[in-house]
Amino acid sequence: MIHQYVSNGYNIVLDVNSGCVHVVDEITYRVIPLVEEALAQNTEGIGNLAAYAAGRLSESSEEPVEALALQEVIGEILELKEAGMLYTEDIYEQYIDEFKNRGTVVKALCLHIAHDCNLACQYCFAQEGEYHGRKALMSFEVGRKALDFLVASSGSRVNLEVDFFGGEPLLNWQVVKDLVAYGRSLEEPHHKKFRFTLTTNGVLLNDEILEFANKEMANIVLSIDGRKKIHDLMRPHRGGQGSYDEVVPKYKKVAESRNQMNYYVRGTFTRNNLDFAEDVRHLADEGFEQISVEPVVAADTEAYALREEDIPAILAEYDKLALEYIRRKKEGKGFNFFHFMIDLEGGPCVAKRLSGCGSGTEYLAVTPWGDFYPCHQFVGQEEFLMGNVDEGIIRTDIRDTFKRCNVYAKEKCRDCFAKFYCSGGCAANAYHFSGSIDGAYDLGCELQKKRVECAIMIKAALADEEKEKTL
Amino acid sequence: MKHIKTLTTRDVKESMKKGGCGECQTSCQSACKTSCTVGNQSCEKAR
Ligand code: SF4
Ligand code: SF4
Repeated sequence: MIHQYVSNGYNIVLDVNSGCVHVVDEITYRVIPLVEEALAQNTEGIGNLAAYAAGRLSESSEEPVEALALQEVIGEILELKEAGMLYTEDIYEQYIDEFKNRGTVVKALCLHIAHDCNLACQYCFAQEGEYHGRKALMSFEVGRKALDFLVASSGSRVNLEVDFFGGEPLLNWQVVKDLVAYGRSLEEPHHKKFRFTLTTNGVLLNDEILEFANKEMANIVLSIDGRKKIHDLMRPHRGGQGSYDEVVPKYKKVAESRNQMNYYVRGTFTRNNLDFAEDVRHLADEGFEQISVEPVVAADTEAYALREEDIPAILAEYDKLALEYIRRKKEGKGFNFFHFMIDLEGGPCVAKRLSGCGSGTEYLAVTPWGDFYPCHQFVGQEEFLMGNVDEGIIRTDIRDTFKRCNVYAKEKCRDCFAKFYCSGGCAANAYHFSGSIDGAYDLGCELQKKRVECAIMIKAALADEEKEKTL
Repeated sequence: MKHIKTLTTRDVKESMKKGGCGECQTSCQSACKTSCTVGNQSCEKAR
């Protein structure tokens, strides 16, 4: 299976199942799908393939291709095929099945430290922190049991992840600190390593918190939407006044004190700012180097929800952003954009790539009162209540449903070129938009595919630049 | 090659042999929390 597209003047051919990325000239771009067709009809040998391709090319109104060049191109194509770098078969389905059937261990928890918030962001899926429920803070006792559960359920995994999430976790900061200390005390005796992360809206950030976080948190996610007017529109206080001015200076401090690493300024774009590349640019201009700005996920009854008719504008905006991204990198003023980052050389193994996000199996969310849900986005939906910190996982049936969920369980993902980068998408989005965790969230897919295309094009462009430098 | 330039990529097939240790980061714990993106993650062993 191949996927080909033209972006920023590059003819890109992705050999989906090997992950190889080829940048090709125009003739090759036209010939590659024809050879695939011919091979599917069992045509063999360079001469026969060339004859087939020539026949098909003559049907098109585009410029004819010289016979000699055609032979040469097909020669190169076959060389890549021999090397397992083109037209590679999908041989992973059974492997992923076996992989998913292994014993389940839990390796990550999202602790809902506070179901309460000091902001009233319009698009919050937690509904001002309360997740369709009541306001509540997690007690140390509940958190301690959650960490004990994690250690006990993690088998031989060494690295364990715990995200302090909310609502707004800084509303319950003492418990966060106590849980970090407790977690650290478990590391040596159990031979584990905790990786703590914090997601905050910044309002309560201060020097004491920052100092602690810089010592203990592997990552900090700082919510900010971009330009002041956009941010203040969507992220106001409960009284309506914006939060931009108070959080930006604090975020700058975080970024600097962490040497511009291991943090993200993380925004959400909505129908109100389909020109979100401007917001990313704004954040970069403010000196942030780790940026993530992502599409809102909202019911289509909301005025700010993204609609199908917005897709062309959003895709064009990603293209625009990609060009800006390359330009700034080349000027030495680069930033990272979470969804354009792709690790072609050292990316994850195929098991990770195709087995889904892990919600409901290796990843669970814990409410302030200690209930388990498949992930933060399912919290509050009673049909997904899986168990609690005292009794562990009670609804093993829910776990098993999530366990089966992977790229091959989803009709749409099976044939999608983005599957190795997307892993079959977000189960929560799939559920909310299609009614089943094995369904798809079509709008999300369109954007995801575009981001993958941009990310790969950026690699091609930057590789080009490297070459120019060495010439 | 004259017509095709190939970027350096990890051999996905090869990773069937050595992969699957599960020590890597959970996809949603990174920054996003609303979509599953694995392409940008790193393999714990390749670090
Ligand atoms: S983009 Fe959509 S169809 Fe493609 S792998 Fe991701 S969830 Fe599946
Ligand atoms: S279901 Fe979606 S939100 Fe939940 S962990 Fe998976 S990717 Fe993240």
